[in-house]
Amino acid sequence: MQERVAEYRRVALFGGVYNNALALHATLEDARRRDVEAVFCLGDMGGFGPHPDRVFPLLKDHDVLAIQGNYDESLAQGKTDCGCGYTDPRDNHFARISYEYTFTNTSTENKAWLGALPGGRRIRLGNHRVLMCHGSPRVINEFLWESATPTGLLKRFLGQAEADVLACTHTGIKWHRELLEGKHAINVGVIGRPENDGSSNVWYTVLTAGPDLSVEFIPVHYDFETLARQIEQEGLPPEFAETVRTGWWTTCLENLPSRERSRGKF
Amino acid sequence: MSSRMSLPLLINEPGAGHAPVVPFLRLSALWIQITGTWCNLECTHCINASGPNDPWLKPIAPEVARAAIQEADQLGVKEIYFTGGEPFLHGEIMGLLADALAVAPTTVLTNGTLIDDAMAYRLAALARGAAYSLEIRVSLDDTDPEKNDRVRGAGAFDKAVRAIQFLHERGLLPIVTATEITSHEHAGGRGMYERFRGFLAGLGIEKPRVKIMPVFALGRLSRDGGRRLTEDDLESFDRGTLQCSESRVVAADGVYACPILAGLPGAKLSDGGLEASFRDAPLYHPSCVTCHETGMTCKNG
Repeated sequence: MQERVAEYRRVALFGGVYNNALALHATLEDARRRDVEAVFCLGDMGGFGPHPDRVFPLLKDHDVLAIQGNYDESLAQGKTDCGCGYTDPRDNHFARISYEYTFTNTSTENKAWLGALPGGRRIRLGNHRVLMCHGSPRVINEFLWESATPTGLLKRFLGQAEADVLACTHTGIKWHRELLEGKHAINVGVIGRPENDGSSNVWYTVLTAGPDLSVEFIPVHYDFETLARQIEQEGLPPEFAETVRTGWWTTCLENLPSRERSRGKF
Repeated sequence: MSSRMSLPLLINEPGAGHAPVVPFLRLSALWIQITGTWCNLECTHCINASGPNDPWLKPIAPEVARAAIQEADQLGVKEIYFTGGEPFLHGEIMGLLADALAVAPTTVLTNGTLIDDAMAYRLAALARGAAYSLEIRVSLDDTDPEKNDRVRGAGAFDKAVRAIQFLHERGLLPIVTATEITSHEHAGGRGMYERFRGFLAGLGIEKPRVKIMPVFALGRLSRDGGRRLTEDDLESFDRGTLQCSESRVVAADGVYACPILAGLPGAKLSDGGLEASFRDAPLYHPSCVTCHETGMTCKNG
């Protein structure tokens, strides 16, 4: 049976909420002003930030169409690890603190909601067939960094999925690569923490249909100081608050490829 | 230093006939055993008993490496690694790195002894002009020169440290790779990972990158016997987490399942083409126990 695929003209996409309800609220307000027809979240509601349950009413009230990230899958299944895919001891140390806090402070009802999310979505944007995933189409926690994702692999993903546009997240840093024949690969970025560029804002993506697909990365400014104070009040590591305030990653950066790592402060 | 052996790995080469297998899932990592077992060092714990004289696994002809890179590109490879032996002994290593970087992010595993400032400059220029990230993994087994050189050979510590500094000064971010071969000599102190990070920070490396590897009982540490995996060991275990489910190694005489076992007859999956090696890999060797128990991968992360 043919899969029924919703059609849109203009949509917003983001990933990695990371318990950052303040940035989520600001993102949703910004997207509404930009006249988008639907908002998609590519997963990982939890992580780093404080008060995980505060993001769920926002997602539900604004009809955000979400898919499941590795964090969501772990929370829903009661796993002891976030499944982020880190291999470095320092990365795993901070990931464990973040996950244990989030697991403890996410309600049973919200874990069940995360468990019901689909693993991916397909839409049409004009003539473009869009495939959304969290990490990659084949592995939920695969990192698709700009400097470490071959064009040959992206073409293979799109060919296997019979899609024209691949939208993913998971790494925390946005990028867009236009492939031949009107095809695109887009890492839509995350709104939960800044992207290691020394700026406190976060990023989401607006896609607009047309003869050529329009890809816009939108900066979102929010009350990061309040978030940083909440992180501190909850007893989370000061490194998390420092990243929110400075825009430089202080943790979970050992798996960055050399090109992305060299752009950061640490 | 141990004495050099000919075909040392065959001492511990069990049959692969009834071993459990790992299904092939995807080609994530292409490994190129570029210099075979030809190396300018003779480390006591080398997994493939590499050395300077008469390598039992021959270097690869450049055209074989290029063909593998092109085939891997067509097959959707995600990353490419060059290993040996010592890759910088290969006369065409720079051109082959450029060929690989045109296709995918590329890593070269080196002992660092042949990286001087001029080579670091060339590598930095290559990295700047490439479409994808170039990673340099420099092996160093101990932060103490005497302990390091006892297993890696006289002078190896100073040369590797200088290579790390040259690379750093040229803007590259080398990954220092250490085995646990001497870690027991530091009992009671900081953990090995933190010790290496602290050592690199002391050299002025602002972004220290460290990868720790277990020691494998093969190559120069090969011994008879040794436990092997059974189907019972793998019950409820996700075999897709083992690197042999998504890696293939091109060596001079064929394609193998993983870099640890490259060159061993039991691990050989094809005589030539990459795609022909996309079949179940036997977990037949005692070293497979180490991967199963530690979750280790030879990849960067």
